[in-house]
Amino acid sequence: MSMSSGRGAPGRTTMSEINVTPMVDVMLVLLIIFMVTTPLIQQGVKVNLPETKAAPVEASDKKLVVSIDRDRRVFIGEAEVELKELEEKLKTNAKAQQDKELYLHADRDLAYGVVVDVMAAAQRAGVTNVGMITDPMGAGKVSKPEKDKK
Amino acid sequence: MTRPVTLLALLVPSFVLAQQNVIEISGANFRPMPIAVAIPAVQDDAARKTLNEFDSALMFDFSACGLFQVLDRKSYLAPPTEGVVASAIGFGKWSDVGAESLVKTQISSDGETLHGDLRLFNVAAGREDLKVSEAVPMKDARRLAHKLANAVYKHFTKETGPFETRITWSRKSPTGRDVWLADWDGHNAVKVTNGDVNVIPALVPGGGVAFTSYRQRKPWLYVGKPGSDPVLLIGKAAMVTGAAFSPDGKKVAVSISEGENAEIFTANAADGSNLTKVTDTKFFLNTSPSWSPDGKRIAFVSNRAGNPQIYVMTAEGANVKRLTFQGTYNTTPAWSPRGDLIAFTARDERNAFDLFTINVETGKIARLTQDASNNEEPAFSPNGRLILFTSTRSGARHLHVMTFDGNNQVTLSIEKGDYSTPDWGP
Repeated sequence: MSMSSGRGAPGRTTMSEINVTPMVDVMLVLLIIFMVTTPLIQQGVKVNLPETKAAPVEASDKKLVVSIDRDRRVFIGEAEVELKELEEKLKTNAKAQQDKELYLHADRDLAYGVVVDVMAAAQRAGVTNVGMITDPMGAGKVSKPEKDKK
Repeated sequence: MTRPVTLLALLVPSFVLAQQNVIEISGANFRPMPIAVAIPAVQDDAARKTLNEFDSALMFDFSACGLFQVLDRKSYLAPPTEGVVASAIGFGKWSDVGAESLVKTQISSDGETLHGDLRLFNVAAGREDLKVSEAVPMKDARRLAHKLANAVYKHFTKETGPFETRITWSRKSPTGRDVWLADWDGHNAVKVTNGDVNVIPALVPGGGVAFTSYRQRKPWLYVGKPGSDPVLLIGKAAMVTGAAFSPDGKKVAVSISEGENAEIFTANAADGSNLTKVTDTKFFLNTSPSWSPDGKRIAFVSNRAGNPQIYVMTAEGANVKRLTFQGTYNTTPAWSPRGDLIAFTARDERNAFDLFTINVETGKIARLTQDASNNEEPAFSPNGRLILFTSTRSGARHLHVMTFDGNNQVTLSIEKGDYSTPDWGP
């Protein structure tokens, strides 16, 4: 270690700074150890199990709701739309594009593929967060929105 | 019985306060209001022929004025046949597309006259906030749309809307350049001149357009109206350019070049008499005058410090003060009718021309355009909220409009061409 003591300064001078070099060495080794071990810890298949008793998400009425009834009719809010129109309707929908989220309200007897079609349309339209509306603990079947019973 | 009355008296003021929803247009927190403009309802076949004109003017007004975010009609969920009164409207379908306000219009004709109704609804409350009816001759469908849009603008801002104002420009023609007069959206354009080279038009407050024309070989200042021959206003020395009329319409400021130098003069707007020299700088150029809204001061360009910069002086030429100190090329000042800002063209360090504003009192500069080719020649709307300018962003010089802080830049939907030096007036 070189210490620059002023030319002509009398006697010895004390080094007043902390020597950080060993500390950096230790920290760097620790950092590398953690970086190597972290991926190892996260191995294994991760499955998010449905939590039926979970507290319901606060779905305020301001959020966009896409419903699918038992007859596979698709609704945005209360308005029926064709499934093939859904992507464009969501892509041009200012609310969906701003929030990037919608709630899916699908009949429990529907085929999985129908729901996935709607979710895929939402994803293509740039809506990245899709929430599922459920009735807590089997309180009854999901029914279509009131006003669309014609 | 006194108790309910007292309660009512307490409730009324808060209700009135809740009713006032003025959109504050400036400031960092400004967010355009999401508005849905339903396809106009048509009552009869004669009105149907005007639908396209009416609808395109209405949509342009709402989308270009900077107050609103007009929602894409493709997203609308309500059927096009939905009624125009509050009881017939499913407001849930409009709030599901993100609309905070909903505009419903209806046009009908009785042969001679085109009638238009506009209703403005608050979507969250499901309430009709405004209803206006206007009538115009059948051929003026666009003006009907502008009148109705103005009512909405006034409802939100408590200010007069800009949609019935007029603009002028100079455009390249096969034989030179012609001066045109048009609505604020560039439509209904008529030629003020026919042939020769006519440049730098300025709207005359009482009607007509003043411009510099080479029709008598020398570039002198004329005043013209569509369909009649221009009249010489100031014909003196070698060149008279850059006319600007004082807000009260009594005075005109021009730049007159006399050989080596060019000086600002003022004269009576009516006949060009009482010509008075306001600047006096031998060997330097003083051009592009622009009046302050109170008519007491004039902004202009001068190269007295070596390169063109913006200066401000009184209308008599006293208290000359340099305003811009950045850059080496600042020209075409336009004083906002609100008084606080001067918009100007500046050449930046990459040799691109862009628009800026400078606050007259504080000297604070704001950049309005960037990375969009060259943008020049700003002109303020009469309410000071919008700026009309030329840009080469899509090829030839074209007219564009934006808000005074550079937001919401919209291209005027007019024929392509070489447009220059626009001006905007009431």
